[in-house]
Amino acid sequence: MHTVFSIAIVAAYVVVLTFVAVRARAAREFAEFSLARRALPLALVFGSLAATYVGPGFSIGFVGRGFNSGLLFLGIGLAYAVQNILVGLLAAPRLRALKNCHTLGDAIGQKYNRDCQVLAGLISVGVCAGLAAVMAKAGGGVLRDIFGLPHWSSVVIVVGVTALYTTFGGLRASVITDAFQFSAFAILLPLTLLFVLLFHLDGGAATFAKEASAATSNGFGTTSYIEIVGLVMAFLLGETLIPPYANRALASRTTRISRDGFILAGIFSLAWFMVMIALGISARSIIPQGTIEDDVLLKLVKSIMPAEGYALLLVVLVSIVMSSLDSLLNAGAVAFTQDIVKPFAKVPDNTALVIGRSATIIIAAIAAVGAVAVPSIISGLLICYSIWAPAILPALIIGLWIKRPHPLAGILSMGIGTLVAVCFQFIFPSLTKVPAIITKVPAIIPALGAALLAYVVGHWIAKVREERK
Amino acid sequence: MMGVVIIVLVVIAALFVIVSGLWVARALIAAISTNGSLPEAQNNSDEQNNHQDT
Repeated sequence: MHTVFSIAIVAAYVVVLTFVAVRARAAREFAEFSLARRALPLALVFGSLAATYVGPGFSIGFVGRGFNSGLLFLGIGLAYAVQNILVGLLAAPRLRALKNCHTLGDAIGQKYNRDCQVLAGLISVGVCAGLAAVMAKAGGGVLRDIFGLPHWSSVVIVVGVTALYTTFGGLRASVITDAFQFSAFAILLPLTLLFVLLFHLDGGAATFAKEASAATSNGFGTTSYIEIVGLVMAFLLGETLIPPYANRALASRTTRISRDGFILAGIFSLAWFMVMIALGISARSIIPQGTIEDDVLLKLVKSIMPAEGYALLLVVLVSIVMSSLDSLLNAGAVAFTQDIVKPFAKVPDNTALVIGRSATIIIAAIAAVGAVAVPSIISGLLICYSIWAPAILPALIIGLWIKRPHPLAGILSMGIGTLVAVCFQFIFPSLTKVPAIITKVPAIIPALGAALLAYVVGHWIAKVREERK
Repeated sequence: MMGVVIIVLVVIAALFVIVSGLWVARALIAAISTNGSLPEAQNNSDEQNNHQDT
């Protein structure tokens, strides 16, 4: 009987999602596919932004961190909320105000030159594919738990279904299905927390405070200060204006909606982290100590809810993964078309749409194959953050704010930022002769420093050249 | 006392998240009831849709 209800819940979810995706309609031109005709209202911009950043890391990952490190990660999460609010106040409206701008690469191209746009496009597509591989791995894991399928086939199903509606509907389908998925998890996961607090927390508030204190002490005891600084930097800068967020800033109906969407998403993230961390802390008195971080949420729900509730939670987790995955696939495809293909060839709108759709499928295939190579959800995300922030942010943010940014500064900053991040992330840790102090430094810190320095040097060289002329 | 304060903050956060979910659900229903044409945007003047250049 339990199995029948569980299957009915999964089937009902698939039916509603299909209905929502079909109602979103297929995109008929590239402007619809890439920016939903710049017509998104505030609620959809906010819902889609939040649905995109709440992936497996900010749900399963944060519950696990709450379980082991208590409120430590709430403090680190605060950096993420601040980042969103700052983007809303300082960057999103300026980005939205640019004309004929479909992507971040477009913005960089307008501020610098075509070479910078192409380099930004390559980095955007690479980071989107990398993040999509992390989502594919997480989604495959959840689906495997529901149906007991082999991991590879679960990955193929999650990526295949997501790619299907994103390929045809573009950004609008992504945003509308995101809104549905956001509503599902934003209602059900806090209700799960309230259920735990009301019926399963023996000892009430005193027990909760005791467990929070013990977990937080454990968190500070097992995390070094340099690691905390690296995590704060990663949360503050790593996801700043990654392509799917930039697309939502650009697709907002007005500059004001663009600004308010990011500010609301920042405030929401703080409340969301509190709920996830609280679930993790509550779990400490319900499930065994030593449970693997990524299993805490699943084990908690399995131990307090009937089979139907567990099935519902798994469906919600698939929603969380798909809402991030669809945004990444669309953003990667739009960046490929707009920043890599269009600068070299004048393509008619219909052809651009076909290229965008084909790129969606190719990035989805790369994500499915790459899911095997992802070490873990959190570390996979941190690798992508470590590359994105130094590669793009200095050039983008400075470019949006200064009057005459020089292309040489942009190219140097993006190139050197990427190079240093890759060296610290992948090459130095594998070399035996490199001192441990260097391999332990989070890649984002030296890479960001190098990118900023390269920008200043490039700007200075270009200025001296101009003066000589 | 500290425990009560933390629990109250957590409950407020949970309610805020739920209300956000309901708000977005309402916007979603409005959007799909017009076959995904995002009606709120189309009822506005060009001035409000600043820089709508696509």
